[in-house]
Amino acid sequence: MNKTATKTESGEIRLVNVSKKFGPSYAVQNINLTIPHGSYCCLLGPSGCGKTTILRMIAGHETPSSGEIFIGDQMVVGKSPVERGTAMMFQSYALFPHLTILDNVAFYLKMRGVGRDERRQRAEEMLRRVQLHHLKDRMPAQLSGGQQQRVALARSLITNPRVLLLDEPLSALDEFLRLKMRGELKSLQHELGITFVHVTHTQPEAIALADMVVVMDTGRIDQADSAKEIFNSPRTPYVARFMGGQNVLTGTVSQISDKVVYIGHAGGGTFEATRTDMPAEQGKPISIAVRRDRIRLRRGSGASGVNQISGVVEATEYQGSFVKVTIDVGGDVFVANVSDADYFAEPVDRGDAVTAQWAAADVHLLSKLDTGAAGDPYANATH
Amino acid sequence: MASLPTADTQSSNKTSLLMTYLQVTPLTVVLTFFFLIPVALVVAVSFFRYQMLVGLVPDFVLTNYIDLIKNPTTWTLYLSTLKFTLIVLVITFVLGFWIAYFLVFHVRNLLVAIGLFLICTVPFWTSNIIRMISWRPVLGKEGLINSALLKAGAIDQPIEWLLYSDFSVVVAYVHLFTLFMIVPIFNSMARIDKSLLEAAVDAGASRWGVVWNVVLPLSKTGIALGALFVVTLVMGDFFVVTVMSGGLSGSATSGIFNDLQFLNYPRAAANAVILLIIVLLIAAAIFRVVDVRKELVR
Repeated sequence: MNKTATKTESGEIRLVNVSKKFGPSYAVQNINLTIPHGSYCCLLGPSGCGKTTILRMIAGHETPSSGEIFIGDQMVVGKSPVERGTAMMFQSYALFPHLTILDNVAFYLKMRGVGRDERRQRAEEMLRRVQLHHLKDRMPAQLSGGQQQRVALARSLITNPRVLLLDEPLSALDEFLRLKMRGELKSLQHELGITFVHVTHTQPEAIALADMVVVMDTGRIDQADSAKEIFNSPRTPYVARFMGGQNVLTGTVSQISDKVVYIGHAGGGTFEATRTDMPAEQGKPISIAVRRDRIRLRRGSGASGVNQISGVVEATEYQGSFVKVTIDVGGDVFVANVSDADYFAEPVDRGDAVTAQWAAADVHLLSKLDTGAAGDPYANATH
Repeated sequence: MASLPTADTQSSNKTSLLMTYLQVTPLTVVLTFFFLIPVALVVAVSFFRYQMLVGLVPDFVLTNYIDLIKNPTTWTLYLSTLKFTLIVLVITFVLGFWIAYFLVFHVRNLLVAIGLFLICTVPFWTSNIIRMISWRPVLGKEGLINSALLKAGAIDQPIEWLLYSDFSVVVAYVHLFTLFMIVPIFNSMARIDKSLLEAAVDAGASRWGVVWNVVLPLSKTGIALGALFVVTLVMGDFFVVTVMSGGLSGSATSGIFNDLQFLNYPRAAANAVILLIIVLLIAAAIFRVVDVRKELVR
């Protein structure tokens, strides 16, 4: 029935040395990425980092300036979306405003030359699947945002794709719908077993959904890993800062042993970190990341032992299950997420001198030196 | 800001009502004096009696209308006008649609698009008469086209029908009125979300499929407005048709013009009323197909 993409062909996506130039500037440069078949992949990054460009190149709406894109074992550059077996869900949903919901969903079948009765029947089936059958004769403008999104989803899925591409699918929804749709997308992907590539700039969304998170900085991939790896062991200061949940500290390597790297901090303290494959060289500066929720606070200044830092509380923010304590450590910002039980056992307030302390196991060496470029996405409220 | 139904809000209701009337007044006055009254006068005069040497005689007779309907010339003129309208409508639509399509979807640089748009307005940079006269060196017997064809050996005798023919009339109309198609269609197309085109491609539409299934239906308003412009302009023209056909063809308006020259105002008025009704019927038909008002609000 469907000539192109049905026989569960592999939906593995491979980008080889892909670059895209707009005018003189690169939107993305030398991208190498393999997204395994049947995985949920999130492309994560701030706006303008090139994540949408990558998505559109996979979809065939943008042609790479150089490099190759494979889907399955097929080189797809220059091929149409239908030949690729991809379907895209647009950020604006891009429903045809002059067609009814049913005709929107049936559009692909109409283009394939499927007869009127059959395509109506198949479109109705698809609408039942997304629980919108009762709205089939409405126009898109008469639907709510959430409903429009389901229609867009139905319209993408009726093409029977092996890769579904989602461009910021949840950004236009309110918080409640967003969480609901997020769960539905995840279970849909599980049920269909096809590759989902999802572009987002929201970290919790990526972590909650993805088997594979690709964190992007201006035109480059900084880290592509499982959500757990990305969150727990970011490889660069940029990823650590962008994912949030980490403090980034910079010091100079004072000593390296078999298992431990000792780092001297400008503030006077010494940090210990488990040695990993990250490059560390004696006498050279190095950045480390410490998880915010692994930090214990005690009153008083005077960091004496290792893995301690002292400062003055700048702000406290109650977050329900934890309290975010922002500490000014000699001009830099250090954040401790203290569990509510611990916090209320010994509350600290603005202006109090505190010392933060953590275990060596919670420290991760970073591969690059911190430039502070990405900043803290949570600090300047994303919503 | 809590507004309770007190005397206060009632008086503010009154002021807002007054404001509304004030806002509507200027347009009402202009339309009354420059549109309603003149039309009413024309309708009234169309029932007057015409007497040689005397001129207008106030009366209520239908002779003007009966004269016109019985006169075969009227029918010829109207048919010829409708024929021109139809031909010009089709040609300007095809040209206007593709030019607008090109400007909106293919010219990525806004500055270039504006530049090309300005080029479309070139025919309006000079007066009507000069515009008409300048067709002669192009289409005439010894004009550009004929001499080029003669030199190339494609023909041995100059083509006669290039100038002073239905052909030249249509050429002049198309030259003049294509812009009136381009502008409204361009306007509708510019409002089409580009991702709709990509969504259609994503769903397997060919280039032609995208135009037919997405661009064309979403440009309907512009096409309707453009058609309205072209219809009213061609139906109301007598200058272009007279000059470009060398007086061989006429239009409904030329009939009116002739009557005016003989000071037969009642018959000219009756003719004008008939023309008005026909144009209104065409406009109603266009609006029946496309709900322009709904689309304009969108």
